[in-house]
Amino acid sequence: MKNKLTPKNIIFGLFVCFLPLLMYGLDAISLYLSQYDIYLNLPSGDYMLRIIVRAYLYMLLAIGLNIVCGFTGLLDLGYVGFYLIGGYTAGLLMARLGVTYWIALPLAIINGALWGLLRGAPTLRLTGDYFAIVTFGFAELLFRIVKNEQWLIGGPNGFVRDIPPPALFGIVFNQNWHNYYHILILLTLVIFVTYRLQHSRVGRAWVAIREDEQAAESMGINVSRYKALAFAVSAAIGGLGGGFVAQFQVNISAPFFEFWESILILCMVVLGGMGSIRGAMMGAAILGSLGEILRPGVIIPYQFGGARYLIFGIILILLMRFRPGGLVLRKA
Amino acid sequence: MAQFLEQIINGLVLGGIYALIAVGYTMVYGIIQLINFAHGEIFMFGAYIALMLITVFGIPFWIALPLSMILCGILGMLMDLVAYRPLRNAPRLSALITAIGMSLALQNLARMIWSARPLQFPTEALPAIFLSQNAISLPGGATLPYRDVFIIALALVLMIALNRLIYLTKIGKAMRACAQNQVAANLMGIRTNQVIAITFIIGSALGAVAGVMVGLREVVTPTMGYYKGVAAFAAAVLGGIGNITGAMLGGIIIGIAEVIGAGYISSGYRLAIAYIIMIAVIVIRPSGLFGKSTGHRA
Amino acid sequence: MRNWLITLLIVGLISTWGCQPASKDKQETQKELKVAVAAPFTGNAAAFGEMIKRGAELKEKEINDAGGINGMKLTLLFEDDAGKDAEASLVAERISSNLQILAVVGHFNSSCSLAGKPIYQRAGIVELSPGSTNVSVCEGSDWTFRNLYRDDFQGKFIARYIDEILTDVESVAVFFDNDDYGRGLRNAFVEEAEKIGLNLVASEAYDRDNTDFKAQLTSIKAKNPDAIFVSGLYSEAGLIIKQARETGITAQFFGADGVDSPDFLVIAGSSAEGSYLTTPFTFGAAGEDALQMATNFEALHGVAPDTWAALTYDAVGMIADALAKTYNSEASVAENRKAIRDHLASLDTPEEGYKGVTGLTYFDRNGDTVNKPAYVKIVKDGQFVAADRQLLELQKIVEKPGFVPLEIDSTIDSVVEPTLTKDEKRFFWATLNVEGVILAPSSEISWAAQFLSEHNMSDSEFELFMLRVKKYREFVINHPDRVDPPEWAVGKY
Repeated sequence: MKNKLTPKNIIFGLFVCFLPLLMYGLDAISLYLSQYDIYLNLPSGDYMLRIIVRAYLYMLLAIGLNIVCGFTGLLDLGYVGFYLIGGYTAGLLMARLGVTYWIALPLAIINGALWGLLRGAPTLRLTGDYFAIVTFGFAELLFRIVKNEQWLIGGPNGFVRDIPPPALFGIVFNQNWHNYYHILILLTLVIFVTYRLQHSRVGRAWVAIREDEQAAESMGINVSRYKALAFAVSAAIGGLGGGFVAQFQVNISAPFFEFWESILILCMVVLGGMGSIRGAMMGAAILGSLGEILRPGVIIPYQFGGARYLIFGIILILLMRFRPGGLVLRKA
Repeated sequence: MAQFLEQIINGLVLGGIYALIAVGYTMVYGIIQLINFAHGEIFMFGAYIALMLITVFGIPFWIALPLSMILCGILGMLMDLVAYRPLRNAPRLSALITAIGMSLALQNLARMIWSARPLQFPTEALPAIFLSQNAISLPGGATLPYRDVFIIALALVLMIALNRLIYLTKIGKAMRACAQNQVAANLMGIRTNQVIAITFIIGSALGAVAGVMVGLREVVTPTMGYYKGVAAFAAAVLGGIGNITGAMLGGIIIGIAEVIGAGYISSGYRLAIAYIIMIAVIVIRPSGLFGKSTGHRA
Repeated sequence: MRNWLITLLIVGLISTWGCQPASKDKQETQKELKVAVAAPFTGNAAAFGEMIKRGAELKEKEINDAGGINGMKLTLLFEDDAGKDAEASLVAERISSNLQILAVVGHFNSSCSLAGKPIYQRAGIVELSPGSTNVSVCEGSDWTFRNLYRDDFQGKFIARYIDEILTDVESVAVFFDNDDYGRGLRNAFVEEAEKIGLNLVASEAYDRDNTDFKAQLTSIKAKNPDAIFVSGLYSEAGLIIKQARETGITAQFFGADGVDSPDFLVIAGSSAEGSYLTTPFTFGAAGEDALQMATNFEALHGVAPDTWAALTYDAVGMIADALAKTYNSEASVAENRKAIRDHLASLDTPEEGYKGVTGLTYFDRNGDTVNKPAYVKIVKDGQFVAADRQLLELQKIVEKPGFVPLEIDSTIDSVVEPTLTKDEKRFFWATLNVEGVILAPSSEISWAAQFLSEHNMSDSEFELFMLRVKKYREFVINHPDRVDPPEWAVGKY
């Protein structure tokens, strides 16, 4: 590993660490000015932090999906299924059984990984779009289960209400800046683990499988085993994201885990550049906040507010048109 | 028993619609290996264009239908020209994302033009055969409108015609050549871009027919393409993606499975039951019912 | 180089965001009061979002044409939540962080209202929902209100109506939209049906996007129910009825407030004939205001209003009313926001309540609307008309021992005008019926019910009261020229 402690990186790191402080500082200024009827019209700290937390969450999920899509080269259209598993495992444990977050989160991760293996078993033989459609069917099935099985979930449409915030030593973590550091720690952990995996034997085996499965097998790589590992790790990260989002959203419901979320995360991975952690993060940062930037009153005037997703779609097309290989190019 | 028969007929009609949409997916996929997510939106535009031609311009139905097919064909071709052609040599998933962006853009465009309120074809402007009171009476009080018979018949006729087109004509041969190896086809003097454009035109025109049929049967809304599009995509994969007979059969299987699932197992799981069947088939036959094993192609 | 370009782009975006000329209105003499309307303007519930927007726009226009709120202009900001909870919580954060926005009308989907609830509560801004009916929406937050009834009330109401009024219905099937609204309503209906012993033969689900319902309808048909309760929204309910007739179902259809829209009649066509539905109000019967609103709405937007347009119209009206009474330009934003909440929370009795086109709105401790009357409509000749027999509010009166239905069919001589108070006369008109058909609008019926519950008369007192009212009836019959009927009753008896 080269020396990463350049001044630029240190400044960037400090910026990330003290972002909430900056945001709330701006807040205080605009609140002060509002007394004199001067409105800066800056988005408030809480709003910005929420966007950023969500962008971080998408980064985490994109990194997770990238393991299956980017590293092993299989198109996964049902990643949201693991997100759902994590969300409902943690949500139900916390809201209905009163389990503390610190136990519910690891259980969400483990449950996610288990389902990843479960889904992986029958799909090991499948390639390309046949794999894609099976993953899609799997996610759709899970979505239907939370929608229909009311005895399990407790409310219509997969409603789990009033998921308690995590607490430690009497401090309740329910503010946006709590969540900011919370997801920052989780994200750093995930980046660290994936980075280490990518640059280990395992990562090289995954890439070998992506490039040529038969060749990899003949080189002595146990393809099924490495694929299963990829599924499990990817699903575990999805479960982690779900566990986080359950307490972040307080109330979750089935539409939260729609097929569209899968597609959105996939777009992030492809947009950033498949097989690159940095790319996945960049894609997530862009698409995760694009929806908010395109809100009327930001850069689109209010009378064209309805065009938000139209522009979103056009931007997707244009980005792919001019950077077809993704923002971060994979090294050949 | 009468109930079962009715359900099978319901499934067949639904399957016919899925098949019409699935053909569009499978043709495009067969040639450029692209899951054209925007196909569901072409289907929706087909319905809206026909509806507008009838209600705003007062064009009779039998002219509006082919006109809508032509316009959707052009729309499909433009889509290929603007969005997919520049990405021909890019990674395959890039084109997929473009398709998703296209789908999002078209759906919202339709919402902005025609508003989100559900619209209906005016009954007075329709030929008598499409009115729901003109129907075959089934035992048990149910009726089978001629419109639904028309859908099944149309799906069958188009499937046979397409099959002939692909196996007997010169353009069909060119399509098959492109599907096998684009570079080689190009070297043999086939204009691949033209062939692909024609594929988009045919697929989109068929999607438009399906859209009009669904519009006649149900309602026209900007989101109508999504649900049926996804089901049709599943049908295309089930049949072995790239295979037209497979798409037809896949459509019918998904349609019947959906109806049987909703009618006899649990209505909350409707399409999910069809997906379970689909997953089972794919796990047993990893390249669909009719698909050829292509090795790896991701 | 590329990185710099991207950074530049991002900085540019953020700076355009920040540098909006926000304090432009300072130069203008008229000060703006901003209220946000959050609803699904995109996504698969966009049709409802559109009507919400139109209802809100109408009220905004009317208020501003009439000189605004204490001379200040009301400005509505429309925020799209796409019907998704993740977006709704961002919208909530965005709205509550905008220090010019004083209150929120929204959201439509229950899941969105629930997603926004903790955020609005933390920020201290009122969330007044014109569309969320899930039972739990207002629980546990001081800042969340709604001006329509909950699923459980309506589900119960429909079950009881079918049981008590439509006595020829022996068996019922439920066909519900598999989302929070449809399923919540269905749960309440099924629970009550089981309690009162209604014979429930089938309960099937459908999805809003999947507009082919024949599979479920065929299996419902096999159970042969006398009535089918469609627990969903009009866009699908219209199609369901149409397809049901094709499937050969002849049963009577019953819908809830979600079905109440002119589009329902358009989609279902002649199949809708004879369908029943409950609504919080009917434009025809809710009084002059509602009719006036419907006319203005059509004039402005070219389409007829639906329930949500009217509910949003009232919700905006309530907020504007609160602003007119409490807004203090000297106070801080937080104080003004709090004042609106306190004002809404103080609307806890019928006298304090807000009289809008959808009837009288006042809140209980949770912020749920109390006792908004449910009204039953029926489709006759392609039009919604009030059903012959109404239930709940009337029920409360009828259940009183000593109550005698006042029917205008007797010919008893009486010349002396009895001395009735104003309230007693109003009660008489409210309960007047011809062959079992109540003539009064729902607001009057609910007023009568309220009147009884407030006066809390003993049985003997009530008998005496009814005697006096009966005397008055006889007087009315014999001297129609000497009585002064309320406006709605002119020419009806």
